[in-house]
Amino acid sequence: MLKSGTSLQVMSHAVVGFPSLDENLRAIDGLVSAGVRMIELQVPFSDPVADGPTLVNACYLALKQGGSVAATLELARQATARHPQVTFILMSYLNPLYRYGLEQCFRDAAEAGIQGLIIPDWPVESVEPMLPLLDELNLAPVLMVTPNTPESRLQRICQASRMMIYVVARMGVTGHQTRWDEAFDLYLNRIRQYTDLPLAVGFGVRDASDLKALKHKVEVAAVCSRYIEWQAESGSETAAKNMATLITEADLPPFGG
Amino acid sequence: MIRSQNGMFGDFGGRFVPEILLPALTELEQMFAQLREDADFWQEYVTLTRQFSGRPTPLTPCHRLSDHIGGARIWLKREDLNHSGAHKVNNVLGQGLLVKRLGKKRVIAETGAGQHGLATAIMAARLGLEATIYMGADDIERQYSNVFWMRQLGANVVPVSTGARTLKEAMDEALRDWAASCETTHYVLGTACGPAPFPELVTYFQSVIGIELQDQIQEAIGRLPDAIVACVGGGSNAMGAFSPFLDHHDVTLVGVEAGGRGMGDGDHSIRLKPDTAETGIAQGFKTLFLQNEDGQLGHTHSIAAGLDYVGVSPIIAHLSQSGRLTADSANDEEVLEAFKLLMKFEGIIPALESSHALAGGFRKAATMNNDQHLVINLSGRGDKDIFNVARAFPQPEWTAFLQRELERHTQEPSAQQEPSAEQEPSVQKSDTAHKENRHA
Repeated sequence: MLKSGTSLQVMSHAVVGFPSLDENLRAIDGLVSAGVRMIELQVPFSDPVADGPTLVNACYLALKQGGSVAATLELARQATARHPQVTFILMSYLNPLYRYGLEQCFRDAAEAGIQGLIIPDWPVESVEPMLPLLDELNLAPVLMVTPNTPESRLQRICQASRMMIYVVARMGVTGHQTRWDEAFDLYLNRIRQYTDLPLAVGFGVRDASDLKALKHKVEVAAVCSRYIEWQAESGSETAAKNMATLITEADLPPFGG
Repeated sequence: MIRSQNGMFGDFGGRFVPEILLPALTELEQMFAQLREDADFWQEYVTLTRQFSGRPTPLTPCHRLSDHIGGARIWLKREDLNHSGAHKVNNVLGQGLLVKRLGKKRVIAETGAGQHGLATAIMAARLGLEATIYMGADDIERQYSNVFWMRQLGANVVPVSTGARTLKEAMDEALRDWAASCETTHYVLGTACGPAPFPELVTYFQSVIGIELQDQIQEAIGRLPDAIVACVGGGSNAMGAFSPFLDHHDVTLVGVEAGGRGMGDGDHSIRLKPDTAETGIAQGFKTLFLQNEDGQLGHTHSIAAGLDYVGVSPIIAHLSQSGRLTADSANDEEVLEAFKLLMKFEGIIPALESSHALAGGFRKAATMNNDQHLVINLSGRGDKDIFNVARAFPQPEWTAFLQRELERHTQEPSAQQEPSAEQEPSVQKSDTAHKENRHA
């Protein structure tokens, strides 16, 4: 179980259907061997408005390969059975889950071994009424805070979030560089005022220097777009090697092997 | 005037956006809530439209056409006579007043037919703002004259080459830009869609159409019309024309969607009829979206680039489901027929978008009595469609002229450096192509 104050670990990503449904499971095996213990399974979507070019393209190609909610749940069943030590999180835009039926989707996800949810266009106001069900299912909504989130809303989001808080590191979409400056530290302090949950930082975590900068500051760093870039450019095997190198270079505690 | 319940219209509307956009939307909502209660603000807006855009636009009786069709007397609300050539400028001028109050120096917009992009470029030039316009790469090819003028006006037009390369993708890209820039940039959303408060805010500014129309028809015939017809893409011209009449239940309101080339998936943009769109949540709001069983948004087609949107205004969706609005559609052929008829009988060149309203309006008028009155909202003029119409109604002299013009153009050395559509700096074009090859 992830705890506040534990040393930094990497969360990474799979877009279900990218580069193919067959390859997803092998890619996940690779990530686990590289030492990754938290993996987002992203349901591809036709209109991923919070994502930059890398994930937009991955979604586009994944949909052509049969990526869907059902395929994601199927992958989750297999991946959670193979890697019980790994936390799998369902990442999706709201509409595919809404069409599936939110409550049914959450029940099926929990049954498939999914432990958390990241849904960027699902506002806290809509999450709150679902909390009793989600808590009953042990399915953690991981809500996002952003640098411009006002105090009152920050508190509300921190109260509704479970497992961890997803800290969007900067303005914009996924896949671009972020600066880890003093303003960023103040931002983290501001969030910690409202929660004892671990913090997961995403948007712009791309290399070992980013991970080093985040060590001792937060518990989780999401290396997602970068990993998908590697997958797209050089295939899943090389992507896993790059991930292992990244984790070694950043001198993070070893989980792998 | 219609008001939302916390951003909702019945089951539709709301605000489902990445957290990062919340503060900008809340700020806009609070400002709008205040200004709409301020009569001076409305006056400021109306004065601006009079001084800059030629309002009030006329209400034109169509004598010859009405006689030809038989049935109701047909009137046109002439939004085509706005500066920039369409109703889009109303909303843009209104949002320009908001931008000034917000103190932002940059605006972004999505555009389909280019009319909203053009209006935004005009507003930005007038107010000295930086403007970036997102437009589907396919729409750029369909409406190049608008792209040309946007660029002449100083706007940065960014072709969007993801997905179906039309309005939906342009809106996605505008939302992505806004996620990075919302502290300094205002998103001038062009239709009565998107996250709250946009559907209500755009309807508020566009209602200037219906408010004028109400006075004008009263003066002309001493009563309200029997029916008002408008085309429905996103729904802004329809909501503008309809909104003052919602409580007048004896006025029939007809929204005409794009029937395209048939009822197959991707061949039309009909969202209000049974077995077409389903309720969904995307692009920041809940409405009827054309989508598949997995909730992936679908593809659309229309001869008119301004109507092929995958969703529809949450207000229109609500009015349609509650029975206040009658949904109709016109296919590409009927649209061209109506286009021709209006030119021939009344000397008016309509936009292909507005020609959908004409087709539906003519059909409706034919079923009515000649003591009844039907108003069609002519949302825009057809200058921008010259290339599309030239293809639908070929004129050998035109083709010959284009060839001569091309020759003249290529003889000028400067012209050879102009980028082609495929070479323009584009969002994700090269990236997508590159990766598609890799995984083909």
